[in-house]
Amino acid sequence: MTEHSERQFHPLVKQLLDGDITLADLPAELRAEGEEALRLLADLDRRPVGVPSVTWRVMANIERRRRRVLPWLLAPALALAAVLVLWIMPAKSVAPLSRMTVRFVLVAPEAHAVSLAGTFNQWDATATPLVRSGPSGVWTATLTLPAGQHQYAFVVDGQRWVPDPAAPAVDDGFGRRNSVLTL
Amino acid sequence: MLALLALPVSLLGMQQTIAERLDGRVPPDVGMLVQQLGIAASARGLPVDPLIQKAIEGSAKGVPAQRISAAVRLVVAQLDTAAVALREGGVTTDTLVIAAGAFAINAGLSGHDLTALARTRAATPALMVGLRVAGTLAAMGVPPAEDIGLISTKLRSGQPAADLLELPGSVQAEVSRGVTPAQAAAGLERAAAAQGRHGPPPGHGQPPPHPPHPPAPPHP
Repeated sequence: MTEHSERQFHPLVKQLLDGDITLADLPAELRAEGEEALRLLADLDRRPVGVPSVTWRVMANIERRRRRVLPWLLAPALALAAVLVLWIMPAKSVAPLSRMTVRFVLVAPEAHAVSLAGTFNQWDATATPLVRSGPSGVWTATLTLPAGQHQYAFVVDGQRWVPDPAAPAVDDGFGRRNSVLTL
Repeated sequence: MLALLALPVSLLGMQQTIAERLDGRVPPDVGMLVQQLGIAASARGLPVDPLIQKAIEGSAKGVPAQRISAAVRLVVAQLDTAAVALREGGVTTDTLVIAAGAFAINAGLSGHDLTALARTRAATPALMVGLRVAGTLAAMGVPPAEDIGLISTKLRSGQPAADLLELPGSVQAEVSRGVTPAQAAAGLERAAAAQGRHGPPPGHGQPPPHPPHPPAPPHP
């Protein structure tokens, strides 16, 4: 409620405001009141017709409805996104993707065959054979491996698992040692 | 509702992935155990690959199934220990970082050692490399105190991860000159600390995170 709406005008002045009569039609004693009423009306017409409180209440109501509805719309979308992420990215990866070339060497003059088995070839004792270079019994293999940590062992004559004497080693959990390579 | 469905779907996917990777490579009872342990480990945020690798390794080495199972359980325990230790150090655990921590524990470090490294607030890739190198140094015979001291100093200095990867070679070079692994690591730590105070040599590494101490006022 505003101050202007509380003001009570004479019924003839109200007719003036309604446009039913003109200022000249008012009795002389009401003309001042009529002029004031017209001035007030003109002032009101120049003011912005804003109803922020009403707007706020209506929008708040709409907002509340939206908030009630949004979780039901968002939940399936988020769940679908989670499923897609689980399928597309089964594991987080912060490892650098670079690869490095490494030369493995084992001196085994008595060996007939030497291979390399480790985390990089699923411990397949036949996947990475070493090549004997000359009669001195030096066996070598050159691999390109991803950066990271690798555990491995040499497999001599297909049976004997031998850690690399030139590399640090850790317990393999089976009573033997695995060599460690950190790239 | 889809969110509720997502978990069983992912667990089924995990079970299938483990089964496919172990198919024909390990005894059936070992395969079943790895599936069970793997699903439970994954639900706890642990990596599954180390379990699969250990089972395949044991089978490739001709180890009896019972002993493979024990080794796989040990790997799970090491992963759990690493995850707890890293969380205590304030690190939001990444599966690769946890795996690196489990390796360090297998190499002889403790959960407290891992927590100390995590508290350096190093970036995740640097911490992961730091844990791997710390485990490698432990495997070379560097005692935990010198090991963690050296890696912590390096991580706090903000130097690139590539510098950390050079540490095992540096320790090896010092040991070949006749010092012990502990002495070698302690010497490298002193050098790293001095470098941290005075900045890296031109063209090497990043500037230290904290400015050097201001010079002392001149004596009257």
